[in-house]
Amino acid sequence: MREKILQKLAHWHAYHPGRMLLVVLLLTIIFSFFAGQLKLTMRWSDLLPSGDKRTTQFNKIIDEFTSATSLVVVVQGEEGRIKEFAEDLAPRILTAIDTSKNDSIQKDIDKIRKKINQLKTKENDESKILKLQSEIKTLQAQMNKKLYQRVDYKAEVDFLKNHGLILFKGENLKNTKDVFMDPNITGLLFNINNSMEKEYVGQEESISTREKEDGAVVFLDSIQNLILKLQKVTRGENLSEEEVQAVADKLLFGEPYFLSYDKKALILTAAPNFTMLDTELIVIGTDVVQEITDDLLKNYPDVTAGLTGMIAIGRDEMVYSMQSLGYTTVIAMIAILILLMISFRMWVAPIFAVSNLLVGLIWAVGTAAIVVGELNIMTQMMSVILLGLGIDFSIHIISGFTERRAAGDSIAEAMEKTFLKSGKGILTGALTTACAFLTLVISHSRGMKEVGLVTGTGLLAILLATMLFLPSMLVFRERRIDKKRERKKGLKQIVQRDISFRFLGQTGDWLSKHYIFTILASIIISSLLIWSGSKISFDHNYMNIEPAGLTSITLQDTVQEKFDLSMDYALVLADNVKQSRELSKKYRESGPVAVTEDISFYLPSQEQQQRRIPLIREIREKIQSTAIKQAVLSGDFPVLSRELDRLQMNIMEMQDLAFLGGQDKVDNKCKELVGTPENPNSRNIISEMLQLLDEDISTAAKGLSKFQQNFAQYFKKSVITMSSTESIRQDELPISILDRYSNKKRDQFLITVFPAGNIWQDAEFLNRFADDLERVSDKATGMPVVFRALIEIIGRDGRNAALLTLVIVFLLLLLDYRNPGHALIAMIPLALGVFWMVGLMHLAGMQLTIMNVMGLPMIIGIGIDYGVHILHRWRHEGRGKIRMVYSSTGKAILLTSLTTMLAFGSLVFSIWRGFGQLGGALFLGVGACFLTTIIILPGIIGMIERKNSKKN
Amino acid sequence: MKKTMLLGLLVLLLTPGLFSRELTGEDIIQKVNDLFNFDSSYSKSKMTIVTTSGQKRTFISESWSKNKGEKNLVRYLEPRRVKGQAVLMLNNADDIWMYFPRTQRVRKLASHAKKQKMQGSDFSYEDMGSGDAFIKDFSSKKLEDEKMEGHDCYKLELSRNPDGDVSYSRLIMWVIKENFVPVVIDYYDEDDPTLWQKRMVESDIRIIDGIPTAMRIVMINKNDNSQTEMELLEVKYNIPLDDRMFTERELKK
Repeated sequence: MREKILQKLAHWHAYHPGRMLLVVLLLTIIFSFFAGQLKLTMRWSDLLPSGDKRTTQFNKIIDEFTSATSLVVVVQGEEGRIKEFAEDLAPRILTAIDTSKNDSIQKDIDKIRKKINQLKTKENDESKILKLQSEIKTLQAQMNKKLYQRVDYKAEVDFLKNHGLILFKGENLKNTKDVFMDPNITGLLFNINNSMEKEYVGQEESISTREKEDGAVVFLDSIQNLILKLQKVTRGENLSEEEVQAVADKLLFGEPYFLSYDKKALILTAAPNFTMLDTELIVIGTDVVQEITDDLLKNYPDVTAGLTGMIAIGRDEMVYSMQSLGYTTVIAMIAILILLMISFRMWVAPIFAVSNLLVGLIWAVGTAAIVVGELNIMTQMMSVILLGLGIDFSIHIISGFTERRAAGDSIAEAMEKTFLKSGKGILTGALTTACAFLTLVISHSRGMKEVGLVTGTGLLAILLATMLFLPSMLVFRERRIDKKRERKKGLKQIVQRDISFRFLGQTGDWLSKHYIFTILASIIISSLLIWSGSKISFDHNYMNIEPAGLTSITLQDTVQEKFDLSMDYALVLADNVKQSRELSKKYRESGPVAVTEDISFYLPSQEQQQRRIPLIREIREKIQSTAIKQAVLSGDFPVLSRELDRLQMNIMEMQDLAFLGGQDKVDNKCKELVGTPENPNSRNIISEMLQLLDEDISTAAKGLSKFQQNFAQYFKKSVITMSSTESIRQDELPISILDRYSNKKRDQFLITVFPAGNIWQDAEFLNRFADDLERVSDKATGMPVVFRALIEIIGRDGRNAALLTLVIVFLLLLLDYRNPGHALIAMIPLALGVFWMVGLMHLAGMQLTIMNVMGLPMIIGIGIDYGVHILHRWRHEGRGKIRMVYSSTGKAILLTSLTTMLAFGSLVFSIWRGFGQLGGALFLGVGACFLTTIIILPGIIGMIERKNSKKN
Repeated sequence: MKKTMLLGLLVLLLTPGLFSRELTGEDIIQKVNDLFNFDSSYSKSKMTIVTTSGQKRTFISESWSKNKGEKNLVRYLEPRRVKGQAVLMLNNADDIWMYFPRTQRVRKLASHAKKQKMQGSDFSYEDMGSGDAFIKDFSSKKLEDEKMEGHDCYKLELSRNPDGDVSYSRLIMWVIKENFVPVVIDYYDEDDPTLWQKRMVESDIRIIDGIPTAMRIVMINKNDNSQTEMELLEVKYNIPLDDRMFTERELKK
């Protein structure tokens, strides 16, 4: 049956190559159409098993909460300049529009207008015309669509101004209420001191958690700002009314801009009008903002700005991975082409082989579109893997055909013999490898399952292309040569050349004759490599898989360093505000959590609000009854100095406590106010202020009085406004806050949970964080949860798939050889090759990763071919032919393994480090399987031959 | 005669049940408690913490305790920046005062500070304080004996009493049979008794003034993914200490 089909194929190629090419062309057009439909997804969550709750939740969040997948602009420079830059940039981002679809929409509109005109002249059907006109309006609305709905770079100060005090947590309000009770400078300082003695010295806990440490820094920052401004007015410098009001605002509401701790970086977050599911808009949306930012940067030479966040990273991962896969494929193809030209000592056939491969790849991509619909992070490198494996088929066909032609066979004879001799081997090899890949479909993870489907079916598609396309091209070439030869009357004689690799034959022969040495050496090398492999560790660091050198990726580190905030946060959905509040509280109490963000900060429960009301009333009554002093007289200076002195001591004690407690941010902030204890010459702004009060008393009194008048009035008014006791309801919240934390229907609420440390540096911390997230809510998702699950699932899948692949390969070999012993012998180089591969990976300083662990089951499918080919040939040639077997078949497996290694090795040049890791592992794996076949198998064959000869 | 005596002794040793009953959880925890309840002590120790920006910081301090750990005084010696800072803990750390030489002021910490982290370490004041907390605040149950850190140990489960004033719902303790030193203690969350939070491991146990003393204590904080090491450089027990040492006024000296 198999032979008949192969004979028929050979016949068609030899006699109807034109028709065959036509069939190929038609199929290529069909597959190209499907290939064009193939989508790309770069979401890690799409690698989890389909229907996995983490994936479902993640997709739901990115679909319903555009703010969950925002574009982040990180601006760096001096404080004033980066604030100016942000003010300039934000409105420009809001004007960004999508013009990419305008032309096609305009065409549609023109068509409808034409229809309307026709209707007007012919039927004048009003209802139809109106319907078409409304269609035009709908289409017009889709033109110049705004890409971003909101840019956040400042806190919601207006809302805080009206409801500030009711948002204070009970304990905090109790401790800080004094600060709000006196608007006069001396009274304010007195109250600040009272509050500090209660809050920070009285309760060490206040600065022992991340949120409170941040709160302390913000509070100290506002005091620093107050003292610096007081210094200015004491020296006689003027401050505008706005500047004075800004001092009060900072004291009451903190820094409005999203600034880093060192105030040299600022974050703008743009919430898009599209979701992460819209891949086209991700690219357009990022590119437009990049253009706007670059354009604006020309006016700010002292400022730098870059894009990051889920959208920018998604865009970069997509664009650069396609680019890098493009050039790694080209590198692999060129390398293979050169290798084939050298080994075949001709150039036309290798070009045919590569062309055949290109056609095969189109078919494979088309098949992938039919089978899976979209490529994921793992399957997108299929082209390089298939390239490495698919070229082998062409090598066998070209070798067989040229050999037969060189032996003097006619085109038809040569083609038939090639199909019968090489075709069988190609079919067995391809089916074994494809079956091995297809075994991955037993995997639970979508990632690995689809790798199996895409590479398995892709390999079969290339096999089909090789059977239908390459032979016809070879026939055309031979016909041309024959015609030339006829014209020149056989001028050129056919010379039979020995193109086998004799050195491989000699090596195999020597190793088989010295089989005891070979086997012993193999055992020693294998033991050493197995020992080395046992030392290999698993790298849990996702950052080591990410593309290298991309701004969007490196800016994540900048955000972590400058803002002490990991961008690898978790996301949790709550069904209502109450649940959001409860979950958020539970997460905040969890050790591995730094901070949480959710709607509950802006919407305390009615009970919480009620509990705060008496304190707010007390503040309100107190400040209302406190008279504003119109001047700061020289007689007030001793009190002022005493309070400043007390403030200095409080900050010093806070600094000492922070040093003992290891709270570096508070310690550093205190240094900016009172200097460092180790360096008495370091700047102490409070001490400077005290000196200024002693220097020019009249200027100081005048300046301070003017400040007092503006400040006290505004401060008092602000506190009265923010001490509103009206309860806050959800529908009263500003749209920007609602949009940030709830979906459009307002029935789902988003909680963002930030880890307290770098989850990638320590697997135990990642596990703890992910455990806590899932313990509190089974709806937790986001990178930490998804990645942890992937490590578990893919690790398990890899092991199961590897075991099943081994069983399937054994069964296939058993079916082929009908001899269990020979099936086992063919598998020995493969089994040891896998161990060698892991051992060599460890020696090369590599670690197992979520990407290269996939290489283990894959190498079983790839590496088996070498042993199979050698054993096939040995069985065919008979005893004592080791030299010949290795000279001829050894050359074929050397060439095929070299081409495969070149293809896989080219992945090392990929910008995606994960691809490089898989490429590197497969490179070593193929090399290891080749070496075990070349070294170990001759020893085993030698031993069997010796045993058989003794028997005989 | 000698043979008969030896045999008798052997029988006694091999059949402890004849003359002594097997130790219960309460017996063991009482012995652990007795071990800590020395009248007074002095120690010099070294503690290394990890700061919020990930740097290691080492402190050397001297401490004195009296009345079976009810009163404690810690004075910092190194680094230079903290030299002279002191902490006074009275009533088993229910009252805590702090002295700052830079401002020469003494401040009282809030009463609940006891349950919080001590100077950025993974120990809390409560972990450091002695007293009868193991007996007063917990009920103990003996579990199956286990080997831990190379020692044959009794394994105890301590569950917080309904009126227990401690921030752990449960403790699991491995007590060395030979000397009743709790070589490992696992601490569980205040509200969730299944949530393991911290582990304290004691090692380098030496007999000092007749009392088995762990010279090295490591507290592993599972929650924060951090650990704090404390090493005792010098220890003395039952030394004469003046009560005046443990006063707010003396703190400044």
